[in-house]
Amino acid sequence: MLRFILFRLLHAIPLLVAVIFVILLMLQLIPGDPVQAMVGDFPVSPEFRAAITQQYHLDDSFPVRVYSYFVNLLHGDFGYSYQFQKPVLDLIVETAPRTILLTLVGFLIAIPVGVLIGIITGTTRNKRVDHFWTSFALVAYGIPTFWFGQLLVLVLAVHLGWFPTQGMGPLVSRAHGFSWFVERAHYIALPALAFAVHEGTRFARIMRASVADTLGQGYIITARAKGLTRWAIIRGHVLRNSSLPLITVAGYVLGSALGGAVLLETVFTWPGLGLLLVQAVRMRDNMTVVGIAIFAALAVIVINLLVDLLYAAIDPRIRSGS
Amino acid sequence: MSAASVEGAPLLSVRNLKVHLRVGGTVVRAVDGVDLSVDQGESIGIVGESGSGKSTLARAVLKLLPNVEIAAYQGEVNFRGLDLARISDPALRDLRRHHGFSMIFQDPLGYLNPTKRVGTQVAEAIGGNSSASIGDRVQQLLAEAGLPSPMQLARRFPHELSGGMRQRVMIAIALASEPALLFADEPTTALDATVQLQVLETLRRLHRDRKMAMAIISHDLGVVAELCDRVYVMRDGKVLESGDTVEVFENPKHPYAAQLIELSTRHRRHAAAVGSKAAP
Amino acid sequence: MSGAAAIEPPSAEPAPLARAWRSFRTIAGKVVRTRHGAAGCAILLVLALVAAFAPLIAPYAPLQQARASLAPPSLENLFGTDNTGRDIFSLLIYGARTSLAIGLGAALGALMVGGAVGMLAGYFRGIVESILMRVVELFQTLPVIVLVLFTVALFGSSFWLLLVAVILAIWPLQARLVYGQYLRLRGMDFVAAARVADLSTAHIMFREILPSAIEPVIVQVALDASVAILIEAGLGFLGLSDPNMVSWGQILHVAQDYMTVAWWTSLFPGAAICLAVVGLNLFADGLNEVIDPRMRGRLAGLQS
Repeated sequence: MLRFILFRLLHAIPLLVAVIFVILLMLQLIPGDPVQAMVGDFPVSPEFRAAITQQYHLDDSFPVRVYSYFVNLLHGDFGYSYQFQKPVLDLIVETAPRTILLTLVGFLIAIPVGVLIGIITGTTRNKRVDHFWTSFALVAYGIPTFWFGQLLVLVLAVHLGWFPTQGMGPLVSRAHGFSWFVERAHYIALPALAFAVHEGTRFARIMRASVADTLGQGYIITARAKGLTRWAIIRGHVLRNSSLPLITVAGYVLGSALGGAVLLETVFTWPGLGLLLVQAVRMRDNMTVVGIAIFAALAVIVINLLVDLLYAAIDPRIRSGS
Repeated sequence: MSAASVEGAPLLSVRNLKVHLRVGGTVVRAVDGVDLSVDQGESIGIVGESGSGKSTLARAVLKLLPNVEIAAYQGEVNFRGLDLARISDPALRDLRRHHGFSMIFQDPLGYLNPTKRVGTQVAEAIGGNSSASIGDRVQQLLAEAGLPSPMQLARRFPHELSGGMRQRVMIAIALASEPALLFADEPTTALDATVQLQVLETLRRLHRDRKMAMAIISHDLGVVAELCDRVYVMRDGKVLESGDTVEVFENPKHPYAAQLIELSTRHRRHAAAVGSKAAP
Repeated sequence: MSGAAAIEPPSAEPAPLARAWRSFRTIAGKVVRTRHGAAGCAILLVLALVAAFAPLIAPYAPLQQARASLAPPSLENLFGTDNTGRDIFSLLIYGARTSLAIGLGAALGALMVGGAVGMLAGYFRGIVESILMRVVELFQTLPVIVLVLFTVALFGSSFWLLLVAVILAIWPLQARLVYGQYLRLRGMDFVAAARVADLSTAHIMFREILPSAIEPVIVQVALDASVAILIEAGLGFLGLSDPNMVSWGQILHVAQDYMTVAWWTSLFPGAAICLAVVGLNLFADGLNEVIDPRMRGRLAGLQS
């Protein structure tokens, strides 16, 4: 098992390096003034320009610039945002946890619901139930998350007033203890719901296909021959073996949650990494954009690693490297 | 629990069984009017080529068909007085768990859950009671199926075992319910030659020691000749000929059966001649 | 029961194009017979017609300011007007062109790039495979939206740049699919026979393997198109798509600011996006149902 982990790590690190390299390469290709590209829509005085040029080696060759960027990265220096007047890393550290929170809460709803629907539709002998939920999931999956978010706001927040329309909390919060928790839940409810509906239907479809696959396997017949009840077969054989594709997809979704979060966070003005990215793009704050891109790539790689580990934990064949 | 068996009545009696399956757009008459019986402690063989319906017959009798659409299922399947075609699901499960029938399959790798330890899968067939007694029983069954070091073996996963050992695990699982009747669908087909002989020997031993009835399905007539008192020859879902194994194999009445036996004998003579070169 | 399917008697080999057309028609026929496939095709047909005949259908020219801004739905403005007084119904109709253009364009682009990469990696294997699949992996590491936003941030958002950005984001999936197909098919008998017959590599890759590989690839094209439409709509929603083009997403961008007073700016454009995406997904699902080989192998477990 240890060798497996080591092997995956050995694979992941060069990948990360390559991604960063490509990102920096793309940064090179921006037309126009490199100093302005670095700084954004921000007026630059000649002294400032000279300082920037020297600090970021803008006069030097590309390899030197790449090298210095990597060195900085290793020191935790993701660059500086002139728009926000903060180091990029600080911005990321501030906003990422909020996105992670939103994603996790969304997952907390999406996975159980998706798995449940997937198992029900996959194991039911009632064709109508199967067809209904399958079609429903397909259509629901096609609803754009940001539009669904807007609709939720329209109906539940604006029209009915049951939920706040945006943000993570009120401007001034005086809640304590349990009511603080309720207040938090109140604000996260709608965005998490929008996220969960989309991903939940995706999970339901994956799970259903996986369950259908598993049910066609020989060991299910063996299980029936043993005289096990339907529920015992589902619990003992179907669930675990069907979960493997789901884990892969869930990992993918988690890793790219930043992407979905961009649109959702804009609809709900949720102050997370996605909203930061949009703002940075609008202000042409490329240092921040690059920093976020690298962070996103890192997140994907780390999560893929965890997914691989989880996979190996569940399927013993992978552990033995067969 | 189960209906009292009438003295002299067969353990399993199948009368005019028809199983038609819908595949794609057509209806396949996999089993087309089959009569069959197995007495207590007897061993029968069902032989035929691929597509003859012998496998479908076994699974249809035990209600272990995979997820295929059944177009028709008619006839009588009588096990110790109970009509298997019509009993309730709980009653069927009960028969599978206690002193009823079991089945082992051709592809032990596909028919064992790859993510569960072998011992767990055997334990599943035992069910109930405390974990200590289950653990002992598992080892007992694995040993009876002819597996060495049952305690270590129980912790292994199916893909870590050889084909022959996997088949023995299947046998252990099948024995757990103390069945009166064991169905074996091509039990040795997927195994290497020497291993085949060993597994056959195990089956023979179990048949003898447990006085357990067996129904062996195989396209290999040699296997059936070794193990079975009576034989049924099938083609296209029908039984062409049946009777005492030695009788049928030496004096087949139906021309197709004769052809089948002739080809098999020739094949085995050839295999034996080549066999010395094809050392395990 | 003799289970094997009847073998067709050999006939004169029809031209490959005629063969392709015939199999296209059979598959198309089957797809339309599935519930999902029929619904999907119907929706896509409607969208295609709307896009094609936009000037004839739309009551107003899209950039024309019809009346008061933010007017609710009425007989004159079926879906109301946006903040500059443009008729939303007309905007939606013209927007269909943009969406279909991006959807189809990006999906085909991804097919070409991904298909080429996958084909080469899967057929030639060895070092070509290693390098190409690493590149695929590289591009898959960046989340889709991040990659697109990143490209837009650096290079701007005219239609063509947008198209390239979306293609960059979605091509890896198609590459993997084609790669898997070629990997699987290259070892088969008909390929070995073609090699023995000394047919050129290009011929083998395009005329021999491709027809067998194509079916799931088409499904992926439909799915790619739906993703592309979503991405473009998302960018429009963020205010970052081509301002010269009419985009459903852009209307949603307006809606974001005026949601409390003009619900129609959110409902209708979103519904249009939803319709296009669902239509493509339904079609892909119907096609998948037809070509899924799992169905055919059902009896395999009972063959003896």
